[in-house]
Amino acid sequence: MDLAEGFRNHKEKIINKWVEYTLSSYGSSKFFKKERDQFANPVGGNTREALTALFSLLAKGEDSQQFKKPLEQLLAIRAVQEFSPSQAVAPLNAVKHITREVFKADKERRHLVDELYDFDFAVDLAVLAAFDIYMRFRERLYKVRIDEIRSGNHVLTDAKCPSNLLSEKNK
Amino acid sequence: MSVPKLEQLSKSVVQGPSLATGAIPTMDWMDIPVAFKPGNYAYPAKAEKVAYLDSQKGLHFPNSREWSPEDDDWKLPENWKDIIIKGLAERLEKFRSLKIFMDCCVRCGACADKCHFFLGTGDPKNMPVLRAELLRSVYRNDFTLAGKILGKMAGAREMTVGVLKEWFMYSYQCTECRRCSVFCPYGIDTAEVTMMLRELLHLVGVGINWILEPASNSNRTGNHMGLQPHTFKDNVEFLVDDVENLTGVRPNISFNRKGAEILFITPSADVFAEPGLYTAMGYMILFEAIGLDYTWSTYASEGGNFGLFTNNETMKKLNAKMYAEAERLGVKYILGGECGHMWRVLHQYMDTMNGPADFLEKPVSPITGTVFENAASTKMVHISEFTADLIRHGKLKLDKSRNKHVKATWHDSCNTARAMGLLDEPRYILDHVVDWVEMPENTIREQTFCCGSGTGLNTDEIMELRMRAGLPRANAVKYVHEKFDVNMLACVCAIDRATLTSLMNYWNPEVGVCGLTELVANAIVQEGETRPELEEGLRTMLF
Repeated sequence: MDLAEGFRNHKEKIINKWVEYTLSSYGSSKFFKKERDQFANPVGGNTREALTALFSLLAKGEDSQQFKKPLEQLLAIRAVQEFSPSQAVAPLNAVKHITREVFKADKERRHLVDELYDFDFAVDLAVLAAFDIYMRFRERLYKVRIDEIRSGNHVLTDAKCPSNLLSEKNK
Repeated sequence: MSVPKLEQLSKSVVQGPSLATGAIPTMDWMDIPVAFKPGNYAYPAKAEKVAYLDSQKGLHFPNSREWSPEDDDWKLPENWKDIIIKGLAERLEKFRSLKIFMDCCVRCGACADKCHFFLGTGDPKNMPVLRAELLRSVYRNDFTLAGKILGKMAGAREMTVGVLKEWFMYSYQCTECRRCSVFCPYGIDTAEVTMMLRELLHLVGVGINWILEPASNSNRTGNHMGLQPHTFKDNVEFLVDDVENLTGVRPNISFNRKGAEILFITPSADVFAEPGLYTAMGYMILFEAIGLDYTWSTYASEGGNFGLFTNNETMKKLNAKMYAEAERLGVKYILGGECGHMWRVLHQYMDTMNGPADFLEKPVSPITGTVFENAASTKMVHISEFTADLIRHGKLKLDKSRNKHVKATWHDSCNTARAMGLLDEPRYILDHVVDWVEMPENTIREQTFCCGSGTGLNTDEIMELRMRAGLPRANAVKYVHEKFDVNMLACVCAIDRATLTSLMNYWNPEVGVCGLTELVANAIVQEGETRPELEEGLRTMLF
């Protein structure tokens, strides 16, 4: 049994536990875990989709550049919820433990636990990338706020009125 | 990084202050106190604004003072509890609906997962049933026999400062969008529960500035920004210049003109802020194209009614202003622009507060002769009803290709969709002016998701809260953006136009926001026009 086969076999179980764990960080998470319609349940749906995609990349040892899309999908949400930065990214790390737990429970694959160095390293890279992405969304949030304030202020000076812009240009 | 032990990780994730409650979310909800911190509450109203409102005829805003939600002491009046309980008693007497809503909930949970605040936060107190329970528990304690005898066992609890703080937290984490009500088998209008919570809080001087300042401005000068008549007029005239530059046709406009057939009222945001400006330009192009005999008013210069977010007296007074102006000018009826809650007030409360408006005439389209029976009592017609009727009768020359830069999707604004049933008219209009697609079924029409910033929550200090509350809406837009290359989110609400812009800038930066009439005007072919190719429609900058 090689590691790739182990990941393939237990993919679903690991992802389910990982999603469940991540969603447990919400005050009332039963609905988030249960409802599979992504439009009725955007937090649960996006978390599941992002972690599923991310797990495949981690398990296949893909280039960490590819982590960006699923991490953005997850962190865009967690960056505007009431988590501290560490709380927002912490669940990503849990996949290491969950994978070990799942492999250990399977007699035929128990030995794979010793082969997880590369996988662990990939998760570490994902966590580091997640901090960057978290910060990018926080910065985007502040920019949205500034843009809104600015557009409000310009209201009274009507600087955004196209004809006014035009007349200023002509000055 | 080492291999984490799940238990340790859980500690960092689940324990410690989390979510809006700031407490460990395993306790009974009644035992979880609220924690206010920057970003999770809107700034309290300035004392002078509250005092001003209190000094006005017909309004009651006592106990003005400086206070902060983050302080332990909110400087409540000494007899605050009496005021609240008496206020609740009065309202139970006055509003039969409130009494029914307090009694008839069976806690079936149908509403629980329908609220965008719950879906964005996972905070159980944002489940509409539990939000209403914040008031219901006090009602049980003081107004029901079971509650008086059994107390907490019957779901009752005493009114305390902690409960009051909880009311403030959660009545301002509800946009009164009424999505939950669609799913309630008893038809409980949870928005009205929120309205009552806010009314009661105002009795002890607890309110937010983003609502009370616009409300006081509206009372004073007629619009949210406090624009005086000459400024309002100047702004509209700027837009006339813009329209002429773009199309070669100068719209004919007038202000406060007695004897005009129609009084046109729209949210003031349409005449002073992007992207509403383009919608306002759209109105003028549309009215010019059909030669409508209408007037703007510099006094009834606001369609929005922040009274709806405050208390029923303020709502009534601000609504009455529009009708007073219509009567003064002697118009036949009122045509209303793209606003959200103005229409909720119109359709659900106007008739009992200020109606019927018998001094006006039953609205008839001067162009098509269509009688708007639906507005027979309120005498106010929605611009989309009016426009759809024009298109139906072939009265507009439209060139859809003028919107070829747009791939639109349609956001049903909560108030127009759920409070007045305006579902098909906008879609009929879209079909004729632009290429567009629907968002997923459970996010549109009656089930539409709120922008997350309605009811006066469109203030920047709670941007995070707004972004998470708007997630369900943004998530559906993201889907059509990725699948169909949608680049424009169209709607008929001024608050939407402002707040969805911020929402899109965070979640889907490649999607813009526009009003429906902007798209209509982009497509209108006017007589005598000398219009160059406008690559971005009315948004094109010509040099």
